[in-house]
Amino acid sequence: MFKNEEMEINLGPQHPSTHGVLRVKLRLDGETITHCKPVIGYLHRGVEKICENQTFFQGQVWTDRMDYCSAVANNLGWAEANEKLFGITVPRRAQYIRTLLNEFNRLASHLIWLATHALDIGAMTVFLYAFREREDILDMNEAFCGSRLTTTAFRIGGLREDLPPGFEKMARKFLAKFPTCLEEYENLLSENRIWKKRTVGVAMLSAEDAIALGVTGPVLRAAGVPYDIRKAFPYAAYAEMDFEVPTQTAADTYARYLVRMAEMRQSARIIQQCLDGMPEGPVMAKIPKILKPEVNEVYHATEAPKGEIGYYLVGEKGSTNPYRFHVRAPGFINLQSLPKMAEGGLIADIVAAIGTLDIVLGEIDR
Amino acid sequence: MPTPTLLQSIAITLIQCVLVVIFVFVVVPLTVFAERKVLGHLQQRLGSTRVASGHIGVTGWMNRGMWKWGRIPVLSYWRGIPGLVADVLKLILKEDIIPAKADKFVFFIAPAISMVSAVVVFAAISFVPGTFFIFPSWFPGLAGLPVSGGIADINVGLLWILGVASVGVYGIVLAGWASNSKYPLLGGLRSAAQMVSYEVPLAISLLAPVVLTGSLNFSEMAQRMATGTSAWGLVPQVFGFLIYLTCGFAETNRLPFDMPEAENELVAGFHTEYSGMKFGFFYLAEYINMTVVSALAAGFFLGGSWLLPFGLQGLVNKLLPAGAWIAGPHAIFFVAKIIFLLFTYIWVRGTIPRYRYDQVMSVAWKYLIPLALVNLLLAAFVRCAV
Repeated sequence: MFKNEEMEINLGPQHPSTHGVLRVKLRLDGETITHCKPVIGYLHRGVEKICENQTFFQGQVWTDRMDYCSAVANNLGWAEANEKLFGITVPRRAQYIRTLLNEFNRLASHLIWLATHALDIGAMTVFLYAFREREDILDMNEAFCGSRLTTTAFRIGGLREDLPPGFEKMARKFLAKFPTCLEEYENLLSENRIWKKRTVGVAMLSAEDAIALGVTGPVLRAAGVPYDIRKAFPYAAYAEMDFEVPTQTAADTYARYLVRMAEMRQSARIIQQCLDGMPEGPVMAKIPKILKPEVNEVYHATEAPKGEIGYYLVGEKGSTNPYRFHVRAPGFINLQSLPKMAEGGLIADIVAAIGTLDIVLGEIDR
Repeated sequence: MPTPTLLQSIAITLIQCVLVVIFVFVVVPLTVFAERKVLGHLQQRLGSTRVASGHIGVTGWMNRGMWKWGRIPVLSYWRGIPGLVADVLKLILKEDIIPAKADKFVFFIAPAISMVSAVVVFAAISFVPGTFFIFPSWFPGLAGLPVSGGIADINVGLLWILGVASVGVYGIVLAGWASNSKYPLLGGLRSAAQMVSYEVPLAISLLAPVVLTGSLNFSEMAQRMATGTSAWGLVPQVFGFLIYLTCGFAETNRLPFDMPEAENELVAGFHTEYSGMKFGFFYLAEYINMTVVSALAAGFFLGGSWLLPFGLQGLVNKLLPAGAWIAGPHAIFFVAKIIFLLFTYIWVRGTIPRYRYDQVMSVAWKYLIPLALVNLLLAAFVRCAV
């Protein structure tokens, strides 16, 4: 008389908590997920191909539009990959400013993650608080390069301009208040019974699985692997900075929350060091007006807020455009772990899993 | 006092109904407004605390004028009202879409069920014990007749309230079913399970004050709580009150138990497919239900409409001039208690995240029901001992 049937349900591409246009095909047994398949490509613009048809100078604006929450980190990777390709040495002051802006960007990106992740789990207030602080960072972006989100912050060889007057004051003011803001979020979440019930033991991803799937960034570090490119292969001015790589071993959503919160503290520490130790000097290396590559190919990886972002550039002799351009986008590769995290859980857990992966579809689909 | 004829009693009841409906439809928009304002302040939102602090129109004049009314805290509270007006207009004017594959009749009737069951509960709630006011002698046809503080002061008031309120779940389940869509269906199923589960501890926690006062009648309970040692019900029933409040949050689908809607999981839950005023009905029903739950809490745990516990009311009454209209202040205090509880709703919403569905159910069955039973048992012991 009665029979069990699995229900197939479409989470997205239009759904409040898929962070853009992610579509997830779910098969449900009651509320339990038995099968989960992410479907991507709704935001595909062909960034890689477009960049192959433009000069090396022009490519950077497209990297802004991949992970639009951490445009500065994308810009940094692009600029450094090109500098590696052309053998350009960047002045020390420019390196410091790049590091400074990159860490501010990490804060902004992590704040967006915190805001949306908390909202997905129902904590609406944290959402608005986190956006309040992000606003200050965007103001600083604006002061530096006139743009808030799609910054195109750097140039191959350094910076277009030095820091504007008053920037240091803004930054120090932000640093002075930021720890209390972090405490405010943590007061609302860290020891909240409901928050812990929703995150502890949810969406587990063990270190072996994470490594097998190529997962990087805070998701990997929350599984106990202390891999951070800023430490492992230092770039920009990170070799001169004193900071820790926070790790957790629980490998669940709560551990990722703790890792990212700790990372925000470390970022603030790095910013402080950049401000205190800012060297004087030029911010732009001498580079030719037209760049034609000498080395054939280059892969450069940096630690974006979401994980390892790698730029693979192949130069053609005598051409001003890259012959091949490929991005190893952290969101794209981290998203692979979604079925592993979500299957067997409840439908409410997939929302937590998507939130904890911290994906941006602009980067996944490119 | 003259005894009313049948026609007169019908007229009086109709007048009471109109008064109660006016009360409900004044309180609900004000609650929505308060929710925006309170959340606005809790979360430092910009819109709901600053809209209309601009420079045009009446509000602009109030801001700019010689006296700068907007600077006075109470008067500056109109900020945000345009948002409310726009919201209501949007609800009324928006196109009312019925999905092609929906069960049209059920789809149509579901919001009505929710709304009606929410409003009808007020029939058994007394705003004031006894007489609310007496018609003045100039009133045509009804001169000198008393109007009681509730529409139907029946002696099984609690049963009526619980019975009618539980009909509301049909509205949600039918809405979820009739939409013929997957997210509403999940929302409807969740709400069926959740609301049925939480009704059990809710009813048990309400029984404890009943045992203590020995009455199911709303105004009689209030009267007994004001005199005697069971002062306010809250004092011996702190746990009962907390259990009741928790269940009340679940019954009205508010955070942290807003499973049926859970916007980040189920888009909008059972009312995903609803738009326009049909959605407005669910929306209104939620806020009316919040008012009902608050009114019940005020009646059963916060001493009804009475001003003061421990027999202090008698003292106050002696101080008042003879023949003063005591019922008016009583009603105001009743409403004040409701408003405080509504504030609690909003406060909680601004503070904590959402439970997961299975956790919601385990909270009800593993914790609340046993606790409510123990509480009832204690109440029975107290009743026997006193």
